[in-house]
Amino acid sequence: MTNETVRGKTAAKTFHLEHLFRARETGVLLALFVMCVFLSFSSDAFLTSTNLLNIGRQVSLIGIMAVGMTFVLTCGEVDLSVGSNYAFSGLATGMLIIAGWSLLPAIAAGLLCGVTIGVINGVLSTYGRLPSLIATLGMLSVVRGAALIITSGQPVTVNLRNGADPDTFAAFSYMGQGYLFGFIPMQLVFFIFVAAVGWAVLAFTNFGFRVFAVGGGAKAARVSGIPINSVKIWSFVLMGALAALAGILSMAFLPSGQAGRTGLGLELDVIAATIVGGTSLSGGEGTILGTILGVLIIGVLRNGLVLMGISPFVQEFMIGFVIILAVAIDKWTASRRAA
Amino acid sequence: MIIRKFTGLLLAPLAVTAWLSAASAEDAKSVKDFPLAERIAAKVKSGEPLDIYVSYHDVSNEFAPQIKAGVERGGTTDKANAHFIGPVGADADKQISELESLMSKMDGLAISSVSTDALSPVIDRIIAAGIPVVAFNTDNPASKRLVFAGQDLVQSGREAGKLMVKTLGGKGKVIITTIDAAAQWSIDREKGAREGLGEAKGIEIVQTVNTGTDPQAIYAAIENAMLANPDVTGILSLECCSTPAAGTWVERSNKVGQVKVVGFDLLDQTVELVQKGAIDATIDQAPEKQGFAAVDLLVKFLKGEPINTVDTGVGIYDKSNIDEVAKK
Repeated sequence: MTNETVRGKTAAKTFHLEHLFRARETGVLLALFVMCVFLSFSSDAFLTSTNLLNIGRQVSLIGIMAVGMTFVLTCGEVDLSVGSNYAFSGLATGMLIIAGWSLLPAIAAGLLCGVTIGVINGVLSTYGRLPSLIATLGMLSVVRGAALIITSGQPVTVNLRNGADPDTFAAFSYMGQGYLFGFIPMQLVFFIFVAAVGWAVLAFTNFGFRVFAVGGGAKAARVSGIPINSVKIWSFVLMGALAALAGILSMAFLPSGQAGRTGLGLELDVIAATIVGGTSLSGGEGTILGTILGVLIIGVLRNGLVLMGISPFVQEFMIGFVIILAVAIDKWTASRRAA
Repeated sequence: MIIRKFTGLLLAPLAVTAWLSAASAEDAKSVKDFPLAERIAAKVKSGEPLDIYVSYHDVSNEFAPQIKAGVERGGTTDKANAHFIGPVGADADKQISELESLMSKMDGLAISSVSTDALSPVIDRIIAAGIPVVAFNTDNPASKRLVFAGQDLVQSGREAGKLMVKTLGGKGKVIITTIDAAAQWSIDREKGAREGLGEAKGIEIVQTVNTGTDPQAIYAAIENAMLANPDVTGILSLECCSTPAAGTWVERSNKVGQVKVVGFDLLDQTVELVQKGAIDATIDQAPEKQGFAAVDLLVKFLKGEPINTVDTGVGIYDKSNIDEVAKK
């Protein structure tokens, strides 16, 4: 049985290949395909291996967070603090490396920051009885403020001059800037791994089933004996850990960040990519495959508009327009499917 | 006058740092001609420390700590209570609200506006209440502010444009990068940069790339723009934050020497990339000096000294003189 086939109150169905590409994902995939064909005719640089790998790397961090957001949205909640979490955890990891920590403890500490933020979000949204929109909006500000406090507003740059151990610095840089087999960016490797694990968890595990059940109907889930609060808290924890991982990878790639700018407004990009991929804001619906396609649509669009030399102001307009169009088409086709 | 003394940037970079404090053509402003609030006049007369508020457009950005250090130095030097305030993030509404709340406490205000148009009415209201206001860092000529202390943004953009022309030997294709193409400071600098670049017929400006503010997004935008325009030989960044990203891209793409980068400010990463040759030159705007001037001008004004606009100038750093900064 697969949870990919569970939508809201729909019972589990037997896994078949055709369920992998349900009508909704096929639509998103088609949109992506049309966009790619159009861009490949519009710009010679688009359909090159360098550019495609660039796109892969550029969407990776948003993609990693979008996997977490798929869990949170599918169980009927939302997390607005991901951008701040991304900044805080990445900056904290960078500061620890500069302070002389070795790689694994520094990364573990960074991930722990993200997990802690996830736990707080989850507890506030469940036992605290606050709507997650409000709880995570507050945390957005709290965590951003904390990042500014720990850095005193100064940029954090991880390099040898600032005190990083040479071996740690080399390993950290490889995490963000390296290439697997000499051509696959490491950020993309992390994204593929996270997406594969996320897909397996959401599609095949008991936890994934419960995420759909809670988002599809909390009362029915409670009657069925599903621990709703626990499922929601774990979804927030997963989101927190993935936001932290993305922040750490960003710090490893650049390798610099600033609390006032890093990840600012990123939550909207993450939520937009997830929703474009078919995840419902009201919960109960969503797939990792759809999320990956949503992330790619926004990434390809952003890349393509720059390649075509479109004015930056027009780019903003078009990205917003495409998000609205994609979600509207999704809603219309969903209504027709329901009918 | 700004001292400009940099030659042979391509072949033999020569150390150049040009700082100048210069009076502008504007008339000097004196407290005798200003309808000073009675409570402030009494405070000046009694010799009580003055409460000078310095409102910066974003206290969470890279330069805030340096501006704050200048404000604190000003407070100590001039024996005033210098308060560094401003919104977290460039938010005009928050800056206005904060100023309205503190209006009754301030004896003088120095302001770097989030938005010229949005802040000018509140500046005029504060002046109408008998509180002297000067602009610093980012000018607000639409308001009735007394004078301005900072870098002439159009002029600094022009300097950057000329520097790029010189670096490229007068010919090549250039992209301009900015983290916020719609911001007033960016519009001013871009205007100057285009004028500076326009002085050489062999220079073609391909496009302005609006990178956004997130570091990852900045790098991606530059990467995309360079892939779309592989014949670009120059990247002119208009601010602190796309400068190191451009240098990083040049370094990682093995384009050092082939793609020239001219940018702004002295972030740690920028200094490092100038040392490596991945950034050819950067222009500093002395934020600490601006913070100091903001307080100093107001205290002098309130104590009866005439004040003028202060141009904090441009400091140009390249491989030949960047070590001066790196040692600090």
